[in-house]
Amino acid sequence: MSILNADFWIGVGVIAGIYGIFALGLQLNVGLTGLLNLGQAGFMCIGAYAMGMLVVDAGWPILATLPVAIAAAVLAGVLVGLPSLRLRSDYFAIATIAFAEIVRYVLQNAAFAGGNQGIIGYDAEWRDFAAWASDRLAAIGLGEQMQLPLLFSIWLVFALCVAVLRWLRRTPWGRVLTAIREDEDAAAALGKNVLAFKLQSLAIAAALAAIAGFFLALNVTYLYPGEFDPTFTFFGYAVLILGGFASYGGVVLGTIVLWTLIEGLRFLDLPLSSGEVGSLRFVLVGLTLVVLSMARPQGLLGRRAEMQLRQ
Amino acid sequence: MTHSAGSPAPPILVVEDVHKSFGGVRAVAGASFALQRGAITALIGPNGAGKTTLFDLITGFAAPDAGAIRFEGKPIEGLPPHSVTRRGLVRTFQLTRVFAAMTVLDNMMLAGRGQPGEGLLQLIARRTAGQRVEGEVRERALAALHRFDLDGKAGDYAGTLSGGQRKLLELARALMTDPTLVLLDEPMAGVNRVLGSRLLDDVEELRRTAGMTFLFVEHDMDIVMRRADHVIVMAEGAVIAEGSPDAIRADPRVIDAYLGQARSRT
Amino acid sequence: MIEEASAPPSPRWHSRLPPAAWLALVIIAALALLAGVKGPVEAGQATINGLVDAGYVALGAVGLTLIFGILRIINFAHGDFLTLGAYVALMIAASGLPIWLAAALAILVTAAVAAALDKLVWEPMRRMQTSTLQLLLAAIGIALVLRYTIQFFAGSQVRSFGQDILSAVNLGPWHLGTLQLVALLAGIALIVAVGLGLRFTAVGKQMRALSDNMALAEVTGIDTRGAIRLTWIVAGALAAIAGILYAAAVGTINPNFGSLILLSLFTAAVLGGIGNAYGALLGGIVIGLAQEWSTLFLNARWKPAVGFAILILTLLVLPRGIFGRVPART
Ligand SMILES: Nc1ncnc2c1ncn2[C@@H]1O[C@H](COP(=O)(O)OP(=O)(O)OP(=O)(O)O)[C@@H](O)[C@H]1O
Ligand SMILES: [Mg+2]
Repeated sequence: MSILNADFWIGVGVIAGIYGIFALGLQLNVGLTGLLNLGQAGFMCIGAYAMGMLVVDAGWPILATLPVAIAAAVLAGVLVGLPSLRLRSDYFAIATIAFAEIVRYVLQNAAFAGGNQGIIGYDAEWRDFAAWASDRLAAIGLGEQMQLPLLFSIWLVFALCVAVLRWLRRTPWGRVLTAIREDEDAAAALGKNVLAFKLQSLAIAAALAAIAGFFLALNVTYLYPGEFDPTFTFFGYAVLILGGFASYGGVVLGTIVLWTLIEGLRFLDLPLSSGEVGSLRFVLVGLTLVVLSMARPQGLLGRRAEMQLRQ
Repeated sequence: MTHSAGSPAPPILVVEDVHKSFGGVRAVAGASFALQRGAITALIGPNGAGKTTLFDLITGFAAPDAGAIRFEGKPIEGLPPHSVTRRGLVRTFQLTRVFAAMTVLDNMMLAGRGQPGEGLLQLIARRTAGQRVEGEVRERALAALHRFDLDGKAGDYAGTLSGGQRKLLELARALMTDPTLVLLDEPMAGVNRVLGSRLLDDVEELRRTAGMTFLFVEHDMDIVMRRADHVIVMAEGAVIAEGSPDAIRADPRVIDAYLGQARSRT
Repeated sequence: MIEEASAPPSPRWHSRLPPAAWLALVIIAALALLAGVKGPVEAGQATINGLVDAGYVALGAVGLTLIFGILRIINFAHGDFLTLGAYVALMIAASGLPIWLAAALAILVTAAVAAALDKLVWEPMRRMQTSTLQLLLAAIGIALVLRYTIQFFAGSQVRSFGQDILSAVNLGPWHLGTLQLVALLAGIALIVAVGLGLRFTAVGKQMRALSDNMALAEVTGIDTRGAIRLTWIVAGALAAIAGILYAAAVGTINPNFGSLILLSLFTAAVLGGIGNAYGALLGGIVIGLAQEWSTLFLNARWKPAVGFAILILTLLVLPRGIFGRVPART
């Protein structure tokens, strides 16, 4: 395959967009509120499964499930956050990763979610739409690439989310979040209800994770719990540190760079099995995290002063 | 809004037999006093006397082990810090706490009270009201910065300010919350004398024009004697004396516990 | 959290024994209750299984808690130290060396890797005064590198020590795999040894002192740099031991196992009061027992969920852990 292959770049674009939406929530939490959310994969899992189960088990139209999937993730965010946001930041990190593991574990073992077999057959409507959209795209000479409708949908939503988050950041609401990141005691002393703002931040991150989960489900055609292990969240952190903390533009840049690197591995023509290449990807992500957190923690677009996270 | 000694107005803050220990350390052990409305009161005492801990207890940053705290006649012990502030009781910190990666102006504007723009729903539902309030908050913030000689710094990150400037910013920022009672933990530490004296002039003026009440911790006895209407002395977690500056100056217990120490230091 | 720096050291030297003895009483009472409800054979079997698990959870948790107590690093790579130890032992044993020698070499290798990581990553970061976030990201990165390097070389398939993992012994009415018996005895012996070592050896005392109060230890002239390196070595060695015990107890491993039981290790550490090494040992015993006891009432596949439930409950109800150390609330 050539590096100019369109399918390759569309594939990178799809996965980069999904991780981008996912990482926007982390950026809001980590970069702008100072919350070490390690449970983002759990929220994503809830969103994706809510969609899959509503379509397959209850026969809902796929678009109608999106608000419910978001609401389910937001509710989970509030339930997790209410007790754990009072804890110190490192304990909060442990509590959220435990939450993500619980979600994955329950879905793996509980009968209602299909167990390890997962959920299949929720995307018929989407495939119809994609086929229809491909026909239209064929009219302008873009009918070859089946993934193109998904790519456009994802990046449209991604762009919209970036715009909304950027606007929010400039509002008084965003100002309070930044103040909490900088010094939550001082923010509380000035009359801000720190817990309430942190909860809102976490809830919005959960909603973004649910949207990412929705698109991930469309991309993988069947859902199984292994898809959502905490490593997924760690990839999100790799996006943040590549692009830069406290910068939404950084998320866009970071996710493109990360996935071009990861997927680009295949052009190296290494004499390795696919399993070995798979391992190598993760080693690469790990090295990225270690090296950048030592050498350039603010990432490509971030400012160093904005990533001081207190105990 | 007079504050003569015989004023019948009820005290704005009452602290009654408050206790707080950390492990084995009795930081506050049975402190009691009342603050007269509209007065400028100094809280003095040697290092480790429990002054800062007392501030933490009053403003909800720590819960007292025992005792009662009433602000405007209502109990406030155990309230979270933001509720205390919303009732009109604000504090500053001994070790200054500015939002380093925010601009000086944003530090100030953040503290404005009742901003519709801070609510996610109100951001949309009360868009125009939010924008209007934001404009007003900005005006007030700029005026206050001007008053504290910080207007040249409005656009700079607060992290770039000097220690003294941070003290000023913290006081100015606290005032943005429209308080009726202000607790200042060593507001003059590190501030040069001219500016410090301006700061105290401002405090006196706010007391006169807005009727605000002040309680401040200060180690410099000259300042305490010249500026305070009333002095409370703490040692080892308890209030050991209180009265007018002159009475305190003459009180042998105070000389014993504090002034002797302060004199030998300077 | 106001002016936390002025906090005096917590009075933890007030004898560790009472809480431990208290815990032993609770465990014996619970055991008696279970024996009454489910019969002594079943309850006893679950308890034995629980003690088998307790070994690797407790020994894994000690390193985790010491590193946190001393360096304030939530070491997400700690589970992967267990994996590393188990795999190195397994690879060496597969080459024909006796298993005890393979284990000893694996412990050395893992300790060396831990020390090297301290030299290459953690020490430079300490000098740079990094934020919590940076430390966390570096730990996550190291975890990924370790786990997938192992997977790269060893493949992702399940492996076992190759010895007869089905051979078993009977202890009265109770039944136990031979390897599990070894893990049980070694685990208990090592828990006791580590406990005594922490209490009576110079190294143990030094590490506890550091974990109590880094700033204080620094002014009292402990060579903190050396002590920190040593702590990493001890944590790595104990993790390797825990990983080998896990492989013996469970029979099979894959490159993910360490990261999967990391949460159990966290639970033990949090339960024991993060930073408290004795607490982690005892917390490990509690987790091991609780998970196996739960199988008396629930399907065994919910075992890990019991661990999660304990973690969440501890964080909510007793954030300082049973034996108290670092305050968890701001
Ligand atoms: N969080 C804490 N944990 C443990 N001990 C504390 C804590 N906060 C204060 N203390 C102790 O309580 C005592 C009173 O401290 P506090 O800071 O209130 O004194 P202070 O009067 O403000 O002193 P200074 O004039 O030096 O500011 C001190 O002995 C201090 O060590
Ligand atoms: Mg003080």
